[in-house]
Amino acid sequence: MSDREHDRGTGLSRREFLGFTAAGAAGTALVPASLLSRPAHAAARAKNEVAPGELDEYYGFWSGGHSGEVRVLGIPSMRELMRIPVFNRDSATGWGLTNESKRILGESARFDNGDTHHVHMSYTDGAYDGRYLFVNDKANTRVARIRCDIMKTDKVTVIPNVAAIHGMRLQKVPKTGYVFCNAEFRIPHPNDGRFLDEPDKYYTMFTAVDGETMEVKWQVIVDGNLDNVDTDYTGKYAAATCYNSEGGVTLPEMMKADRDWTVVFNIPRIEEAVRKGKYTTIGDSKVPVVDGRGKNNPYTLYVPTPKSPHGVNMSPDGKYFIANGKLSPTCTVIAVELIDKWFAGKLKDPRDVVVAEPELGLGPLHTTFDGRGNAYTTLFIDSQVVKWSIADAIRAYRGEKVDYIRQKLDVHYQPGHLKASMAETKEADGKWLVSLCKFSKDRFLPAGVLRAENDQLIDISGEKMKLVHDGPNFPEPHDCILVHRSKVHPRKVWRRDDPFFAETVAMAKRHGVVLERDNKVIREGNKVYVYMTSVAPTYGLKEFRVKKGDEVTVVVTNLDKVEDLTHGFCIVNYGINMEIGPQQTSSVTFVADRPGVHWYYCTWFCHALHLEMRGRMLVEA
Amino acid sequence: MRVAPGEPLQRILDRVPPGATVRLAPGVHRGPVVVARPLALVGEPGAVIEGDGRGVVVRVRAADVRIAGLTIRGGGGDLTALDAAVFVERSAARVRIEGNRIESPAFGVWLDQAPHAVVRGNRIHGDPRRRSQDRGNGVHLYYLEGALIEGNEIWETRDGIYIDNSRRCVLRGNRIHDLRFGVHYMYSHDNRVEGNRTTRTRTGYALMQSRGLTVVGNRSEGDHNYGILLNYITYSRIVGNVVRGVRGQRGHATGGAAVAGGEGKALFVYNSEYNEIRGNLFADSDIGVHLTAGSEDNVIVGNAFVANRIQVKYVASRQQEWSRDGRGNYWSDYLGWDLDGDGIGDRPYWPNDAVDLLLWRYPLARLLMHSPAVRTLRWAQEHFPVLRPPGVRDSHPLMRPPPLSEALS
Repeated sequence: MSDREHDRGTGLSRREFLGFTAAGAAGTALVPASLLSRPAHAAARAKNEVAPGELDEYYGFWSGGHSGEVRVLGIPSMRELMRIPVFNRDSATGWGLTNESKRILGESARFDNGDTHHVHMSYTDGAYDGRYLFVNDKANTRVARIRCDIMKTDKVTVIPNVAAIHGMRLQKVPKTGYVFCNAEFRIPHPNDGRFLDEPDKYYTMFTAVDGETMEVKWQVIVDGNLDNVDTDYTGKYAAATCYNSEGGVTLPEMMKADRDWTVVFNIPRIEEAVRKGKYTTIGDSKVPVVDGRGKNNPYTLYVPTPKSPHGVNMSPDGKYFIANGKLSPTCTVIAVELIDKWFAGKLKDPRDVVVAEPELGLGPLHTTFDGRGNAYTTLFIDSQVVKWSIADAIRAYRGEKVDYIRQKLDVHYQPGHLKASMAETKEADGKWLVSLCKFSKDRFLPAGVLRAENDQLIDISGEKMKLVHDGPNFPEPHDCILVHRSKVHPRKVWRRDDPFFAETVAMAKRHGVVLERDNKVIREGNKVYVYMTSVAPTYGLKEFRVKKGDEVTVVVTNLDKVEDLTHGFCIVNYGINMEIGPQQTSSVTFVADRPGVHWYYCTWFCHALHLEMRGRMLVEA
Repeated sequence: MRVAPGEPLQRILDRVPPGATVRLAPGVHRGPVVVARPLALVGEPGAVIEGDGRGVVVRVRAADVRIAGLTIRGGGGDLTALDAAVFVERSAARVRIEGNRIESPAFGVWLDQAPHAVVRGNRIHGDPRRRSQDRGNGVHLYYLEGALIEGNEIWETRDGIYIDNSRRCVLRGNRIHDLRFGVHYMYSHDNRVEGNRTTRTRTGYALMQSRGLTVVGNRSEGDHNYGILLNYITYSRIVGNVVRGVRGQRGHATGGAAVAGGEGKALFVYNSEYNEIRGNLFADSDIGVHLTAGSEDNVIVGNAFVANRIQVKYVASRQQEWSRDGRGNYWSDYLGWDLDGDGIGDRPYWPNDAVDLLLWRYPLARLLMHSPAVRTLRWAQEHFPVLRPPGVRDSHPLMRPPPLSEALS
């Protein structure tokens, strides 16, 4: 930074400056009152201000991109409230290290990375029901479920037969129901090395997972590829975008078509095919696979859509899927009632389901809604959010001279997803909107060459969108949802019968250990089970003794029943640390491969005597 | 060989010796045809090849084919199928499409990976009865090298010239009007865009995601939204172009007023670095130049910014100097003086001073431009520069607009 820039940094901000000049000029009584709006407002509270001690009105659930996690923010303060490790390893909580998390991660625990893009909350009758969050992993082809009562990942399912789960949405009606997963990349089947150089043999599939059991129910082979997906409000349809109708494997090959498509899945017909045995399976997988390829397919409808479309979004009135044109400055509006007609055989051309194709600006990527008939679309190239009227866009498509664009707002910079409060439900309330910008460039103090993302908060409650906050974020949130706080009810302390650690409780029972009382060491050959309680500021065991080479399982039960009184259990020089929340049981297994005295200590600052909360693992040579 | 209307054109094209010239007599010749041998297909005045309303009218499959002097029409309108009046396949290297009149509801000329094509002196017209987004592009270049697109007139198509994944091409002297984007770029490096003219488009030159462009001597007149848009353009020269009268969207909903945020921008520079922007004229537009998303390290000198409602919209938190070696740009609203008569203003020009900012946010305040309060503000800024917000500074503003020829020489 040059000296001049540095000096500038200590100067007034643009906003302060404007306030200052306007106020100064007002002193000479020559500037109209409209110029005074800033200082006048400055006295009042900003709408997005959440003062110390106050609570936010909305939860924001953010995907964490290739950090592999999910984040919880308060809206409108944009304060980060929590991080939920999902596909990543986490040093603080021991996610990926504890036995409980390894059981949930299953066979895929061998991966330390994930790439979360889309996080969505479970529905009942088209409204959020506060049970679960679901999130995809593009990196290792998984989908995970998070329990909203404890905000912990409780299931992870590897999607078989496909590669790179990108788009992911939930059945909204009657409830979730299905978790629909788009595998983005085309691969050969089976992908065992037989077919490497024959891209025309590659294909990909649309997968339905049961949100209750997290079992994979069925898959549908598609033409092209699958990008984003959304579902309707009848439970009949899901629609996914395809940017590679060409089936190309290089960038230019994927860009040839003027129109790719939006593919609509007819869920009841697919279920019927599976019921009637009209399916195949692939390799060792038992998952029923239905073939949804081809133009006049009973299970699918391919709607030609310009050009390499990206996002697809269902309007909260349940009427339209809106596919975002990316390389075309348009969005394609598809009417659900016309999809009914297509599948009833009453339409000839798949484009007949299109009721509008407004020209919005350069690089439309995603659309969200305010529940008042307006749509808000990110324009990646213009770096703007455009507000437009769906009804007017439909009139314009019919040939009426009507302007459907209401406003364009600069955002900073390169907006991808955007989401308005409750917009993915029939309760869209049009208060706040977040634009997740891919570049922040100069919007924050630089903290290294790697720049933060910029999640911008926009007030959409009025006629005009107003940018009110810049929110830096670690790489790289893709999408978020804004959920009214009345929908979410996290617990204060753990239930002792929580299934999250039920297997560990069962193990203790086999050992005759009462977790809430006992502190003891049980040896079975070279396997040693160390059971202890914790009550601030002590562990139930001041020390335990094992032999070099023993496989040691430490089980800690936090007997504190006080809100926020979480303990940690860390063994020095053993790479072990885990979270034990109030009334939680956590366990970790490792090999005591080095003799000597190894202190364990509490990592959560829990008590005035927190530093004294420690003990010794004595490993005999 | 001369072919009269009614003769079996396809059969003739399939049988003439390579290198032959097939002349079409005036009148309507029935298409579609496929040119699978190297030959010249030349129309006498009044000669028409007419398709059957479906697909491609003239499909070129062989190398070294010349299609000239024809009216080509009657092709299909299916964009999904890439319907076009003339579709040039990958195998058709060195095609020359010259002096034709092309009418197409979908694409005019689609060049599919065919190297070293020449498309010159054609008049390409879309179908204004169709919605803009349901029409094709005038000339579409896909994944090719070394094309020359020169001296065509293109109007009422969707975009004029769309250049996608194509390198070392020249787009020169085309006249493009009354359509969506004049020149629409996507990921195409090392091209030359020279001496074209766009009018009444919804963006004259949309140059995106490309490096090594030479954009010289083009004109944009009365375009909407953007004259020249640079989005992630690097290592390029934007020299000697004239952009005038770019106005934003004006809608019924706003009573004919500009849609907020939709102001017309003569030049939009976004996430673009290491470019030379020199000797251009940006005039009579809603915004002269909008520079944002860290578009730093560009050389911006010798340009003239004339009578734009907002000369510069600079959105960034860092300072930029827009002069080089003692020479900056010409600003029609520069209020300084040149006592030593060297043609360079004696005090810097700050397009983003707080007064401009005030006027930008509160256009009504313009009425007070010469009020004592505003003059006091300007005076205060002169003497207390800490009040000045981050922005663009031209330390050596030019007193007169530089002649365009100077930049081009």
